[in-house]
Amino acid sequence: MLHYLLTCRSLTYAQSASRALERTGITAIITKAPKSAAGRGCAYCVKVAERHLVKAISAFKDAGLGPPRVLLVSHDGAINEVGE
Amino acid sequence: MIYLDSASTSLQKPGRVIRAVSGAVTRLASPGRGCHRPAMAAADCILNCRMLLADYFNVPAPENVVFTFNATHGLNIAISSLVLPGDRVVVSGYEHNSVIRPLNAIGAQVIVAGAPLFDRSAAEEAFRQALPGAKCCVCTHVSNAFGFILPILEIAELCHEKRVPLIIDASQSAGILPLDFKRLGAAFVAMPGHKSLLGPQGTGVLLCGGVSRPLMSGGTGSDSTEGLMPDFLPDRLESGTHNAAGIAGLTRGLSYIMSKPAGAIFRHEKNLCFALAERLGKLPGLTVFQDGSRSAQTCILSVCCEQMTNDALAEKLDAADICVRAGLHCSPAAHRSAGTLERGTVRFSFSPFNTPKEAAVTAEAVKRILSDA
Repeated sequence: MLHYLLTCRSLTYAQSASRALERTGITAIITKAPKSAAGRGCAYCVKVAERHLVKAISAFKDAGLGPPRVLLVSHDGAINEVGE
Repeated sequence: MIYLDSASTSLQKPGRVIRAVSGAVTRLASPGRGCHRPAMAAADCILNCRMLLADYFNVPAPENVVFTFNATHGLNIAISSLVLPGDRVVVSGYEHNSVIRPLNAIGAQVIVAGAPLFDRSAAEEAFRQALPGAKCCVCTHVSNAFGFILPILEIAELCHEKRVPLIIDASQSAGILPLDFKRLGAAFVAMPGHKSLLGPQGTGVLLCGGVSRPLMSGGTGSDSTEGLMPDFLPDRLESGTHNAAGIAGLTRGLSYIMSKPAGAIFRHEKNLCFALAERLGKLPGLTVFQDGSRSAQTCILSVCCEQMTNDALAEKLDAADICVRAGLHCSPAAHRSAGTLERGTVRFSFSPFNTPKEAAVTAEAVKRILSDA
């Protein structure tokens, strides 16, 4: 199943994001960001299902967390950044 | 045992605090160091505490709540973030050494806005006179030696007018008096977790509203390829492993306080303090430092004994199973202001768990010690 990773600069932000998403009914699991996508190293992200992406980004913004970097994780595990 | 030294550390904790600390030791790992369940349980525990503190002190975002080891640690971060050698820094006449020593260590020019004990108007006026041209202002909310409540809202307004960043030492007020971070507009507010917030030792909190400089550098579990600390809170100021067990206890201490009606703990402790003051005030040879108006003092009571040293009185009270503290209470500045620098005082300080009977028994014990002297 395709899913997206919404990256956060720290664990605290990932937790805040996860809770904001849960409040809107979106299951959002916190994971470490893949090394290839971590940028400065050791970042966190919330994992959301493909069908929740638009609503999740909107919830990020509503919670004052700003637009996240969005990564698409394909069936084969490949990770690609998704543009605006 | 009667424990009347809560201004140092509250010894009696709600049962929920003890259970939380005990459970955390075997259940919580290190947050930000993995995504396994014990690490995430720790992360959840810590975020819960941040959110609760942000709610209680009206902090705009939980990220602005930083965990420290104690109030001294937080004050050192705040002072080193804002003060450079030679800077003119205004302080009250009632500061603890946790403020004075860091300022001296940096080489700041310390200006004391002095005022007589319990005179809030004079304190406000002193700050009005001293603030122009200051680089920073550091003020305790409540004197740890005398319980004097400084007019912190008025001082915050003056700082705002003069565009002077304000650091507040809330060591003796957090958990007792209302403290609205947003309304105060302070750059930083530092507090311990182990006094009136009823958490365990080794916990402290720094509320951050200004630009901060890390006091320590190290691992944060974020931005790991960077050679310097992250530029975002709370990671910027929280390097190394968190005191997860302590923070678990602090969460439950705060939840206990929040379960009580607003002001109830303060009223309870203040009633005990003034009941004791009234009894001690009748004893010859004892100077009781009490605010006659009752509006400028919390639940800390200092006395000075003429018949014996204050240390001797504290020792005799200890022998009677009553725990108090004698000396300068790490606050020579406050004793200089009150005229007690030579001898210090004996300090009685209360917690939600003290009772009217304990205040009465303590007064009787002092009376007996003085009559036997």
